[in-house]
Amino acid sequence: MSRYEILSPEGLRTDGRRWNEMRRFSPKMATTTAADGSSYIEHGNTKVICSVNGPIEPRASSARNSERATITVDVCFAAFSGTDRKKRGKGDKRVLEMQSALSRTFASTLLTILHPRSEVHISLHILSQDGSILATCVNAATLALVDAGVPMTDYVTACTVASYTNPDESDEPLLDMNSAEEMDLPGITLATVGRNDKISLLQLETKVRLERLEGMMAVGIDGCAKIRQLLDRAVRDHGNEMARMGAL
Amino acid sequence: MASFKRSLTDSRESSELSSKVFLRSSKGKCTKIVRELYLRRDIPCSSKLCTRCLADIKGDSYGRTKPFVLSSNPPVNDTIKAPHYIVPDTNIFLHCMDVLEHAAITDVIVLQTVLDEVRARSLPLYNRLRGLVASGDKRFYVFHNEFRSETYVRREPEETINDRNDRAVRRGVQWYHEHLKEVTRGSGVSIAVVMVSNDRGNLEKGKREGVVCCSIKDYASGMKNSAELLDMISAALEDENAKVAKGDLLYPEYYSMSKMMTGVKAGTLHQGKFNISPYNFLEGSIHVPSFDRPLLILGRENINRSVHGDQVVVRILSKDQWKRPSSKIIEEEAMTKNDNPDVEQFEAIETEQERKALIDEAKVSQSAIGEGNPQPTARVVGIIKRNWRYYVGHLDPSSASSVGGRSQRNVFLIPMDKKVPKIRLRTRQASELLGKRIVVSIDAWDRTSRYPTGHFVRSLGEVESKEAETEALLLEWDVQYRPFPKAVLDCLPKEGHEWRVPQDPEDPRLHQRADYRGLLVCSIDPPGCQDIDDALHASCMPNGNYEVGVHIADVTHFVKPNTAMDDEASVRGTTVYLVDKRIDMLPMLLGTDLCSLKPYVERFAFSVIWEITENGDVVSTKFSKSIIKSREAFSYEQAQLRIDDGSQNDELTQGMRTLLMLSKKLRQKRMDAGALNLASPEVKIESESETSDPIDVKTKKMLETNSLVEEFMLLANISVAGKIYEAFPQTAMLRRHGAPPASNFEELQNQLKVTRGLTLRTDSSKALADSLDQCVVPSNPFFNTLVRILATRCMISAEYFCSGTQGYPEFRHYGLASEIYTHFTSPIRRYADVVAHRQLAAAIGYESLHPTLHSKAKLEGVCGNINNRHRNAQMAGRASVEYYVGQALRGKVIEEEGYLMRIFSNGFVVFVPRFGVEGLIRVRDLAAVEPKSEFDADNYTLKVEASTGSWSVGLFDQVAVKVMDDVEERTGKRKIKMTLVSVKGRKLE
Repeated sequence: MSRYEILSPEGLRTDGRRWNEMRRFSPKMATTTAADGSSYIEHGNTKVICSVNGPIEPRASSARNSERATITVDVCFAAFSGTDRKKRGKGDKRVLEMQSALSRTFASTLLTILHPRSEVHISLHILSQDGSILATCVNAATLALVDAGVPMTDYVTACTVASYTNPDESDEPLLDMNSAEEMDLPGITLATVGRNDKISLLQLETKVRLERLEGMMAVGIDGCAKIRQLLDRAVRDHGNEMARMGAL
Repeated sequence: MASFKRSLTDSRESSELSSKVFLRSSKGKCTKIVRELYLRRDIPCSSKLCTRCLADIKGDSYGRTKPFVLSSNPPVNDTIKAPHYIVPDTNIFLHCMDVLEHAAITDVIVLQTVLDEVRARSLPLYNRLRGLVASGDKRFYVFHNEFRSETYVRREPEETINDRNDRAVRRGVQWYHEHLKEVTRGSGVSIAVVMVSNDRGNLEKGKREGVVCCSIKDYASGMKNSAELLDMISAALEDENAKVAKGDLLYPEYYSMSKMMTGVKAGTLHQGKFNISPYNFLEGSIHVPSFDRPLLILGRENINRSVHGDQVVVRILSKDQWKRPSSKIIEEEAMTKNDNPDVEQFEAIETEQERKALIDEAKVSQSAIGEGNPQPTARVVGIIKRNWRYYVGHLDPSSASSVGGRSQRNVFLIPMDKKVPKIRLRTRQASELLGKRIVVSIDAWDRTSRYPTGHFVRSLGEVESKEAETEALLLEWDVQYRPFPKAVLDCLPKEGHEWRVPQDPEDPRLHQRADYRGLLVCSIDPPGCQDIDDALHASCMPNGNYEVGVHIADVTHFVKPNTAMDDEASVRGTTVYLVDKRIDMLPMLLGTDLCSLKPYVERFAFSVIWEITENGDVVSTKFSKSIIKSREAFSYEQAQLRIDDGSQNDELTQGMRTLLMLSKKLRQKRMDAGALNLASPEVKIESESETSDPIDVKTKKMLETNSLVEEFMLLANISVAGKIYEAFPQTAMLRRHGAPPASNFEELQNQLKVTRGLTLRTDSSKALADSLDQCVVPSNPFFNTLVRILATRCMISAEYFCSGTQGYPEFRHYGLASEIYTHFTSPIRRYADVVAHRQLAAAIGYESLHPTLHSKAKLEGVCGNINNRHRNAQMAGRASVEYYVGQALRGKVIEEEGYLMRIFSNGFVVFVPRFGVEGLIRVRDLAAVEPKSEFDADNYTLKVEASTGSWSVGLFDQVAVKVMDDVEERTGKRKIKMTLVSVKGRKLE
């Protein structure tokens, strides 16, 4: 038995949230001028910086495709981001997997066909980890891509959902896992495109009973819609600010 | 570019968010963990008076919400005269859970701060508390004060965590007070919120801050039944000052946990379960992995406050202190009769008498060391885990005799379990409790106290009244005997007794169910059996072989996994049979009607059908769910009569004869493979039909039909075990019986060799079975049974296990000489069978296996529980027989034959087969003045020089004894008492 209750019978999680509540989500756009587009997202204690360059000429010839733009992703975990100080190399399996998941997700949403023989490079730095890392990376990349002005069909937003098993074996989906919940519960990472609930990423790394998946996905889609609103507001606020400053 | 760096103060002042930072160190490394805390304003107060919080009720993902629990009309008492809710602090839950569980205490607010502390300190107490909250009618409510922004308390610099938590509790109480005042303004109702604590500092601070508070004692004394409640307050909470004043430390101090752990790891200390000898309360033993024989622990100082069943750590004593196990009977009653529960400071750890008994002992063993082999002795140096539970017993009349008023006094409780020492408790109701069976719980055992201290829990009723005794023994063996809760009864089929097998062949319940209604099935059970688990049939096949079917009640059709009924059954684990009562595992409706394979009606069954050759070889096996219609329910005698009656030649009788013929062949095969035929003394109580008062005791008779049923049940179990293991190699529910270690038999082997010149070979079960058959003494026909009884006691008990936890060779069932075994044939009364049914149903593709049965960890939990329940049920059954034997013999004096089972230097144990009981005869009881006696430990003989002439008696000798009843002072049980009449035909007078 773990040292604390993941979900108390009164319906509160370890950090005081209910099952359908997300952690504090604060997106910031255009945080650096060094890249074409950039963003910084704090989702609870998970903090990610993203910068986007592109479309640019491919840096490697392998990234050259005569029909569409290639999307390359670099994910870098800061050594101080976790509880233990640990350096993750470039070849880390987990990092590679995240990179390929991210590049495939965005390849389906960006209008890559408009920029053949070019590359869009997304670079993500994780400054602090507290669960839902892949989801936060998706959200940060979306915001940075919007900032960079890379043409895309709609926002790609992501969140995570855990499945908690009550003592009576019934299940309870929990929106937005923090690291303690990620450690103890099976959960999915889910990304949707736009308003029409189109799922572009669904990742499950643990075992979960099949009949629970549907409920988890429904909760996840609602969560993604909420994040879309928040990102949209951040983009509009940024736009208004730019207009006020006379940049447009 | 705007900087997005936030200042530190910014986040700290946000009222909605706080972060918890703590350091964790593991393996010398320090890690900093930051957790967020979202403070909110929508946690309801849950008082029925409050309308404001109604808006804050939030449902779970199914939209289920919890109603408010705290009453709008809470209780008042003499201490707190206004209607009030109470808020206990952590110590109250840790030490006075019994009080809070009392029905008089309602409307309690449990703060999250307190709940978390309870959880960190004791998980069992936490679970009890959670149970109270869930029960509803006690009106306990958990208020998450740490998540509500108004009640969240930030730890001040330099403040200890305990002070911070106390402050959080006071803040919570204050908030409740203000909140309730606000919402009830104008309504004329006012409700107080009372903090109950036992910490003087906390109470003082509370008073200063204007919090209504009182100590648990003050609170309880204001209640109506204050005496009862006050007694329940744990002795651990009694004045600390008093404890300090008593300077004498009687027992050595325990080692620290880390010292014990390093010692155990290094092999200098040993850990194991502490057991007390049933004959000598000053002799304990402990089995540790590094010694093949148990270590002895002699005397109070070495036993060092451990109680039977505790996990302890011991240190081996030096070799010159090694001893032989005691050959003397020492009873606590006789030794400590005069102890005064009040006088503490003058007592030494061992009384003069006890010391004398031990010295006598030592002399014997010193002289014996030359030829005998002394056993290693040890001393307890620490306790890993206490095994304290509730103990049932009665007050020592001598300690409570001085009749006083209602003032508090110290008295002794004498537990029913002889292996538990007297328990000292403080009570105000000593005169009322005298002569009652009462339940107490041990709180502590200090170094300054010779006896453990405990507190009163509840009273069961008069000693020797049937209800109190039955309840006592159920409690003592931890049997769940309360009526089934409503949630369980709701799981029963709606039709009740009107439930019928569906006749429409399209009915989904008949899907994949074989129709065996045409088979001539009958059941054979003990007379008066209502829960009929099994039925049989046999018929000839055209090819000369036989078709034999065993049909088992299809319990799992009614008991679906993960329902309240299934949970209850898995907790109960087994049906407990007492002499006059049966405590069912499943509700009556299922056990005795819908599942029971009653005659003349159609029932659902789970069938195993074999094709068996004339020689008893199984050709093929088939499993299926089925519908059967039993033609007749026989008792063993009726079935035997029908088989023996040559004039009956109908098909049913023919079938039974076939079964009998095949069962004999199967039995022979099993015996050839080395199955053991063991014996245990079993008796039956005959009772008057009207009053159900016991009148006589009979030994059980074994008929051929008994073994007929047994053989086929064994065959079914073995077949099913193979099938489910094949389907689920990791998670099959099986039963194993390990081979007993050779050292278990050493003493019996030696005894047989010395006294009768017989050898017992124990290298395999076959060898044991054969040599047991040769243990015959022509002059003594009972001798063989006696040896079998003793051999049974050397065995280790069989256990349920989950197949993934053992290697295949470990699956063996030693007693039955079978490679694999499970329990399948009694699902009405055993939970293991229910699991086996579900697994078999999944193995034959009838239904899919429920996820809980896929999990090895869950199954191991189930196995652990049912093993324990099974053992307890057997013990409870035996205790019940013992009680009734005592009642049946009440006021009678009967002369009976008996045999010596054990022999000591100052007495011996006589076994009387007619009543299946053992009794102790002490040398000092033989005559008014204790006769001189000489004990020859090597030849197991005791020579007594009585005034009328000397005689001697040896182990296994036949004696005649007078059996009468007697109330044993120590346990308050009516037990039989024996006096010696003659030895080897020679009258003693």
